[in-house]
Amino acid sequence: MAAKNFKRNKVLSLFLDKSILFLLLAFFIVMASIKPSFLAWWNIQNIFLDVSIYGVVAFGMTILILCGEFDLSASSQFMWAQILFVTLLNATGNPFVSIVITLISGFILGTINGIIVTRFRINSFITTLGTMTMIRGLCLVFTDGKMVSTKNEFIAGLGGGQFLGLSSLTYIYIVILLILSVIMAYTNFGRRIYATGGNLEVANLAGINTRFYKTASFSIMGVLCGIAGIMLVAQLRAGSTQYGTDLALTCVAATVIGGTQLSGGSGSVLRTVVGMLVIVVLYKALIYLGLQAYFQNLTKGLVLIAVVMLDAMMSGRTGAARVKSI
Amino acid sequence: MFSEQKGKHIRTRLTGILKSYGVLIGLILIIIVASIVESTFFTFNNILNILRQASVIGIVSLGVTYVMMLGCLDLSVGSIVSLCSVIAVSILNRYSHSPDSNGTAVLVIFIAALTGFVVGTVNGTIIAILNGRLGESFIITYGMMIVVGSLALLYSRGQFAAGTFGSTLYLKIGTGFLPIISFLVLAIIMQIILARTKFGKRISFMGANVECARMSGIKVKLYKVITYGVSGMCAGLAAIIVTSRVNSASPLQGSGYELEAIAAVVVGGTSLSGGYGSIINTILGVLVLSVLSNALNVIGVGANAQLLVRGGIIILAVGIDVWNKLNEGKDLK
Repeated sequence: MAAKNFKRNKVLSLFLDKSILFLLLAFFIVMASIKPSFLAWWNIQNIFLDVSIYGVVAFGMTILILCGEFDLSASSQFMWAQILFVTLLNATGNPFVSIVITLISGFILGTINGIIVTRFRINSFITTLGTMTMIRGLCLVFTDGKMVSTKNEFIAGLGGGQFLGLSSLTYIYIVILLILSVIMAYTNFGRRIYATGGNLEVANLAGINTRFYKTASFSIMGVLCGIAGIMLVAQLRAGSTQYGTDLALTCVAATVIGGTQLSGGSGSVLRTVVGMLVIVVLYKALIYLGLQAYFQNLTKGLVLIAVVMLDAMMSGRTGAARVKSI
Repeated sequence: MFSEQKGKHIRTRLTGILKSYGVLIGLILIIIVASIVESTFFTFNNILNILRQASVIGIVSLGVTYVMMLGCLDLSVGSIVSLCSVIAVSILNRYSHSPDSNGTAVLVIFIAALTGFVVGTVNGTIIAILNGRLGESFIITYGMMIVVGSLALLYSRGQFAAGTFGSTLYLKIGTGFLPIISFLVLAIIMQIILARTKFGKRISFMGANVECARMSGIKVKLYKVITYGVSGMCAGLAAIIVTSRVNSASPLQGSGYELEAIAAVVVGGTSLSGGYGSIINTILGVLVLSVLSNALNVIGVGANAQLLVRGGIIILAVGIDVWNKLNEGKDLK
């Protein structure tokens, strides 16, 4: 039974991997035939730029989901990073100090989430629901709901800089992807995160400090939210509580479309790149076709539901013979 | 030995009292502190105002309690309130210009409840197909929250609609004591269903152990669908009261209600893992949050800063629940 299930999963996941790539390709062809300018280089560049900024947070979400947890507060952490970074830049004028402090702040926020989840054993959905509300409140109190902007030259150069036709932010994304892929695939740290998400009991019995690895995943998420916030500020030269309100769930969708399972333990950071690409291309296409903003949101919601159903079918949990639940 | 046992006994009794009456004690403390700080707080008009506000969130929370008894969540209730609000007011505006068109009002109430029920059953069906527990229900209903919210915006073209209808019955629902009475009546009905009928007991059973419930022959999928339907229906009824209160409909009317409802249910002491809880707990939770929010308003704390308090309360309430359970576990050992 288990072997059969495993085989089925493997076949399905192979099919899904390829089908996602085919889907992406087909989508590009359809869009290009409707509007040839969809394939213009500036549009491709923009797609990569969006993937770079939101994709960084999606990596964090992937690691958390692999570890069997979840972070809804990513959107609020992302907002907080933007606002803190802009405020620090304007106050000190020193981009390096501001970057370091923003990343430390992200680390602290992530670690707080992790400690509440692991030490006080509160479900990560509810914990991050609470911290999401609190951090959002903090951002609103701090800025009074207004946009904050900066004129720092270094940051403007970082956001506007290009190399071989791609924004410098895309290269930051690629570097982070390489680092995280290596950590997750080739180090003890990464393998233990997989083990923790795959089967908590077994990981505990094998002597893995699962609490530490869960907390560490939350901390990584915090730092990555900080990096993404800085990247967004570099692009827009401003920060606001309006940017990235539905980021957390977009990242979950990207992770699942990529083929990482919601129940944890199986998947990879590299897959999430494809997932994020699919989502960004879809959203861009909806804007490109001139659909009303409400229709765009409607599609986002439907995609999210479809993706979760797909995930459940892939892991064979739709029948009566379900073994594991979140 | 003896004194140690006695000490332990007193301690368990103390935690027992704190567990049973903690919310009530908290409520009374908030009222006392707020009355001392600001004398306008404890006036008849303000209390009536608090209760009227509480009844809207309260009705939403009743349905959410049912869903949380299953060990699931429903984040789509806020959007359902928005959708039902715009549908109700648009129908009334179109068909109810004469002052005595109360028949339309009754029909509209029925339509709003039905719309909510249908959206709820869609939620329930998807989650039942997936055999979903907390995680799946969270993401699915979040997706539905976006979908239904967009539908409300599409239906109303993103516009705020003022009520131009003349139905006196409809306008009365949201004024005076009527919202409070309807909340209480609905609460009593739902408490009786939960505590005294087969349906209620089976929901509790499913929340405690869904596999066990399935094996003992309960149609778990059907019950899940109906429970989500009830939650949606409550949101539809809340939409009626809120539109009647403000005599208008906004497509963003219910945004944020879902978090308030979940917070109220959790603060009341219904367990997040399902199987344990009651409507009375939820009423207390709703009262605590409404009184706290009103007290903070009266004292002069802004809406943004209140988010900080609300987030903290959600974590704290669940933390207390988990702590209680751990303590019980230790005692068993």
